[in-house]
Amino acid sequence: MATETRARNQRTDGEAILELDGLTKTFGAFAAIDDVSMTVERGEFRSVIGPNGAGKTTLFNLISGALPVTEGTVYFDGEEITDRSPPERVARGIGRSFQISNVFGGLSVRENIRLAAQADRRSEYNLLESFFKPTNRYEEINAETGRILERIDLTHVAEEEADALAYGDRRRLEIGVVLATDPDLVLFDEPTAGMSVEETRETIDLIEEVLVDQTLLLIEHDIELVMELSDRITVLNRGEILAEGTPEEIAENRDVQDAYLGGMTE
Amino acid sequence: MLGTAIQQLLDGITLGLVYVLLAAGLSVIFGVMNVINFAHGELAVLGAYLAVALTIQTGIGSTAFVAALVIAPFLVGIIGVALERYTVQPLYGRNPLYHILLTFGLVLVINDLVYLIWGTGSFRLPRPGVLTGTIGAFGLGISSYNVFMIVSGTLMAFAVWALLEYTKYGLIIRAGSQDRQMVRNLGIEIDRYYSLVFGVGAGLAAFAGIILAGNRQANPELGMSIIIPAFVIVVLGGLGSFKGAVVGGLLVGILQESILRPWVPWLEGMVIFVLMIAILLIRPHGLFGTELAEEGGSERLLAGRAGGLLERETRLKLGLVMIGVLALVPIVAGLLGNQFWVTFGSRVLVWALFALSLDFVMGYTGLVSLGHALFLGLGAYAVVLGLIHVTSSVFVALALAIALSAAIAWIVGFLSIRVAGVYFAMITLAFAELYYNLLYRLEITGGSEGLGLIGHDYYYGIAGVGASLDDVAFFVGPVVLTGHSLFYYVVLGALVASYFVTRRMLQSPFGSVLKSIRENEERATFLGYNTIVYKRRAFVVSGAFAGLAGGLFALNNAFVSPSAAEWLKSGEVIVMVILGGMGTLYGPIIGAGAFFGLEQLLTHYTGRWRLVLGTIFVLFVIFLPRGLVSVPTMLAPYLPGGPGPAADPGQLPEEAKTEGDD
Repeated sequence: MATETRARNQRTDGEAILELDGLTKTFGAFAAIDDVSMTVERGEFRSVIGPNGAGKTTLFNLISGALPVTEGTVYFDGEEITDRSPPERVARGIGRSFQISNVFGGLSVRENIRLAAQADRRSEYNLLESFFKPTNRYEEINAETGRILERIDLTHVAEEEADALAYGDRRRLEIGVVLATDPDLVLFDEPTAGMSVEETRETIDLIEEVLVDQTLLLIEHDIELVMELSDRITVLNRGEILAEGTPEEIAENRDVQDAYLGGMTE
Repeated sequence: MLGTAIQQLLDGITLGLVYVLLAAGLSVIFGVMNVINFAHGELAVLGAYLAVALTIQTGIGSTAFVAALVIAPFLVGIIGVALERYTVQPLYGRNPLYHILLTFGLVLVINDLVYLIWGTGSFRLPRPGVLTGTIGAFGLGISSYNVFMIVSGTLMAFAVWALLEYTKYGLIIRAGSQDRQMVRNLGIEIDRYYSLVFGVGAGLAAFAGIILAGNRQANPELGMSIIIPAFVIVVLGGLGSFKGAVVGGLLVGILQESILRPWVPWLEGMVIFVLMIAILLIRPHGLFGTELAEEGGSERLLAGRAGGLLERETRLKLGLVMIGVLALVPIVAGLLGNQFWVTFGSRVLVWALFALSLDFVMGYTGLVSLGHALFLGLGAYAVVLGLIHVTSSVFVALALAIALSAAIAWIVGFLSIRVAGVYFAMITLAFAELYYNLLYRLEITGGSEGLGLIGHDYYYGIAGVGASLDDVAFFVGPVVLTGHSLFYYVVLGALVASYFVTRRMLQSPFGSVLKSIRENEERATFLGYNTIVYKRRAFVVSGAFAGLAGGLFALNNAFVSPSAAEWLKSGEVIVMVILGGMGTLYGPIIGAGAFFGLEQLLTHYTGRWRLVLGTIFVLFVIFLPRGLVSVPTMLAPYLPGGPGPAADPGQLPEEAKTEGDD
């Protein structure tokens, strides 16, 4: 396990890919995220943990643009993106994964991937082409789709409808779709929710395998898994950062033990 | 002077209270069940007619009047309960837009029932002697019936308020309109209260209808004319808010009766729609409504389930055969010496094109436009005005129609696509009604008279090259094709061309994004697509084709009147799309054919064919929401030797997949 972590660590080059500065989100009088500042380095595997209601998902929504921030700034790749729309953020390289059922169920597996690849390569066609040139004539996009299908090992079911896929294959598809948007940073909000131990393991392995070049930001409840995989961990509590550090540092942190891990380590 | 002002104010309050009672039911029904009940106005009319029937049965006295005032709303309440249980209930859990479709079907049914039972005449509810005089006060003669309306309306509104505020039922209903799921979590079966809410709402509407029918002439069309202001009020006050219904009702009543009608009649009928649009854009949840998460908006509209039965080539051939058959219509009609089928066919084809245009935006992006007649009307007037004032080339005029409709669609889309679902439906309705009312007011559009093309020369061609259809004749065997028969081919050509253009668009990146939006808009956003931009483009494309349909519509009649933009037309085109099966380009064409075929068939037997049509439509919405095109696929498993159930839920397979080029 330690070697795997080490492997990722070596790829981080100390350059920040995501920077949050004094990020705050209030709903009425309630501060769901309260003055959060953090930096994620390129290539890092970062997990965000915290008790229920700590603001983890809200934090993701602020990073992906699903919610407007109340105060503070978001920098991605050195550029401020605080006021950018979700599609603009995707174009810059922030990918977001949803839970497994969140693919285009009525479309074919190939079409699911192709749509993501097409979104990433919009510069390859003009407005007129986008209205009238059939999708099967965009060679680059279709080649890219083929490559990704190979990578996630779904070429043999490419023409099937996503809804008809077996559970495991659907999971692969979801990760393939994220990959096809060509992200530099991928946000995973509990990708393994509701899964058995083995399924969780398989999913994480797949993420590790397919998204080896990407920076990963993960919300995950399985603490053991988080400890094992992450380069660094951020602990949120009541919208604030309680602690941040390597898995070893977090495990030893008194505050974290009191607030969150207490029940588990004792 | 002051006396008149007070009189006008009282008139406004009187009408306002009727609106309050209507809107209160409408609003609470929406708040609790998320149902937009288009049939609410018809329930009011039903109440009025029942009351008349009762008073005539029992004699015209105070007792009979009071009895009618109690019994008729009660009966309508029971009808309301039955409607909720047997038609609305099966649709919970579907996209809330299906309720709009369902209740529009109910409008057709109830409206025609009223016609069927009570005839077309207008009437006034017989009032007991006590309420016919005037009361002298402040040197004014105030009609005692107005006083009665104000007092009884206020009492009724208070009763509803007390019911909501101080009873256990009221508490549950109020809680339910805040957060249904939470109420369920508390172990209360809120669903059981739905019938009650619907019934009480229906009863209130009936009461409102009755007291209104004693005040002014009422006829079967009353429902259609009060439902739209009632919607404006509900939107104004806030969907789901009782307080909003009260304030909104009085506001609109006073605005209409006390300010606009006496002082600026030119603006009457338009101001409320401008107000409605402004409210929806600035504060979609209205003056008093709470910001609700768009509940149920994630359920998809059910697209036509086609394909799976026939091979791609077979289907293509079938399509070509259909075009061939349609092309033969004027020739066969000529052989039989019966031109009826040519005019009938032209009408069907124009509507087929209109339905196709609506489907492009509704079936593929899930945006339900309740005001698509706006574009039909724009196209129709653009062509007529163009041919009268600007050009004598029909093609140029049609191009104008397309350009104008597309431009207005862009503006409407720019303003309203941000507001999703039910709000979008409402805002498109408001724009269409605004335009409809404007057509009556403007001089250039000829007011309610409309405009005719008779006496104006125009030709099919461009830059002076071309000819009038009447001057051209083709001889096919013994048949002479000219005039209307040639126009039929113009329409057929426009439809076929539009079909292939939209089909091509759906195979393009643009179309593929539309399909992804239909499947899952949130996911499409996080693939990097700005879905609002794509939806707006789809709306513009749709508006352009609807404008073309409108232009042909006007040319077909050589005449245009404001009715081209009435909301009934918007409703009818939705009916066609649903009948055929939305989200398939040929479904709406089949739907238009079925709609007019049915009309043709039924008018042989009854003048009230909408009753049957409405019933069929209601049954379609409940049992066959994917439309006629999905019938073969549904039947396939039961047919001997047929293929198994098709695995394709809703999109045209050959268009979704990227196979070789034709």
